[in-house]
Amino acid sequence: MRLLPLLPTVLFEKLANSLLKKDAQSPERLRRLAGKRIRLKLKELPFTTTVSVDDAGIYISTADSDDVDCCISTELGVLPELQDTANLTRLIKADQLDIDGDPMLAQQLVGLFKSLDVDWEAELANTLGDAPAHWLMTLWRKSRSHVEKRLEESKRWFKGVVTDEKQLLPTREEFNEFKDNMQQLRAKVERLQRQFGERKS
Amino acid sequence: MNDRKDDSIDFGYQKVARSEKKNLVANVFQSVAAKYDVMNDLMSFGIHRLWKRYTIDCSGVRKGMKVLDIAGGTGDLTAQFSRRVGPEGEVVLADINDAMLKVGRDKLRDRGVVGNVRYVQADAEELPFDDNSFDIITIAFGLRNVTDKDKALCSMLRVLKPGGRLLILEFSKPVSATLNQAYDFYSFNILPKMGQVVANDADSYQYLAESIRMHPDQETLKSMMETAGYEKVDYQNMTGGVVALHRGYKF
Repeated sequence: MRLLPLLPTVLFEKLANSLLKKDAQSPERLRRLAGKRIRLKLKELPFTTTVSVDDAGIYISTADSDDVDCCISTELGVLPELQDTANLTRLIKADQLDIDGDPMLAQQLVGLFKSLDVDWEAELANTLGDAPAHWLMTLWRKSRSHVEKRLEESKRWFKGVVTDEKQLLPTREEFNEFKDNMQQLRAKVERLQRQFGERKS
Repeated sequence: MNDRKDDSIDFGYQKVARSEKKNLVANVFQSVAAKYDVMNDLMSFGIHRLWKRYTIDCSGVRKGMKVLDIAGGTGDLTAQFSRRVGPEGEVVLADINDAMLKVGRDKLRDRGVVGNVRYVQADAEELPFDDNSFDIITIAFGLRNVTDKDKALCSMLRVLKPGGRLLILEFSKPVSATLNQAYDFYSFNILPKMGQVVANDADSYQYLAESIRMHPDQETLKSMMETAGYEKVDYQNMTGGVVALHRGYKF
């Protein structure tokens, strides 16, 4: 059981470090985070994951129990919501997230990979040669733009059907108004609960 | 299992004179050095890499630390430690066997692992280092070949810094009886044949299987470490106890 999480961890670490090596700006970004350590505890997994950064790359461990700069305890389903800092307070209040240490560290670590700028054509050219690499990348760019265009068209059509034609779902404006009203209602309820609690005591 | 009871000692299932064991073990490793890595991968189906990686993860290694990799052989642990301690740290790869040390040195240099690695031919029982000089000591698949294990544990404790930790990765006793039977069959029937085909040396791999059976089990090794003076000693079984990682601290 100890070795089971190790295999994907090692593979992911290798992949992450080889990606970092492909961007000339990575050493500078890594230097800013060098020495930092962050731990992720997911309720669904029986092990914790610790990421340590140094100026050569990152190390991922599932057996590290030493001190870290930031420890995040949460659930798998909550992970995508962490991208938006506006959600943090709500998730902490709902007991779906616990952060011990510097909360910005996780975002800086994710930023390390989000800001990667890899010249894939040059990378491909190293193994395939210039002409095939250029052909493959042109094909990739064309296909991507085609798929994106089709996807956008389908989304527009679907939105029109469910909100305007059949009126199955609210429009974006209606939803935003509903969300604002809900937030105001929640604030009112919390205020009343607080007042009620004070009077009771 | 007790190394100090009389003048004879186990060499696999044979009893040999205490003074002879070092030479016999040296002959085994002299013979297998060239094919050591290939055989490790074949024998363990590559799992030895995960066992070693887990050891590194449990070591708490940081930049600038000084690490001693005893019986470091072909340098698998040293290579990873070298990256992690960085240029401010140092890794000493120590092995009693000159042939293994040469293979390790060539392999690491070919891979570009240079600058913070020192190679020392040393006997684990009498380590040629100052007191309190290392933050981490590891001995992976080496302790069972040491003649006087208690003496080696004391020697390691001496050179370990206060707060430092010793990690012993070694074959051990499988926890399940079924696995034990399958493991016995594999070790005594398949391993020596593999050794014959790949390394042209069945006897060395017969010794390997026998030496594993004669090595102290998890609890015995733990109490040996405690007797030697290590604190907070614990162990973790891997692959059902085929291998165990013992960890102890010097405070």
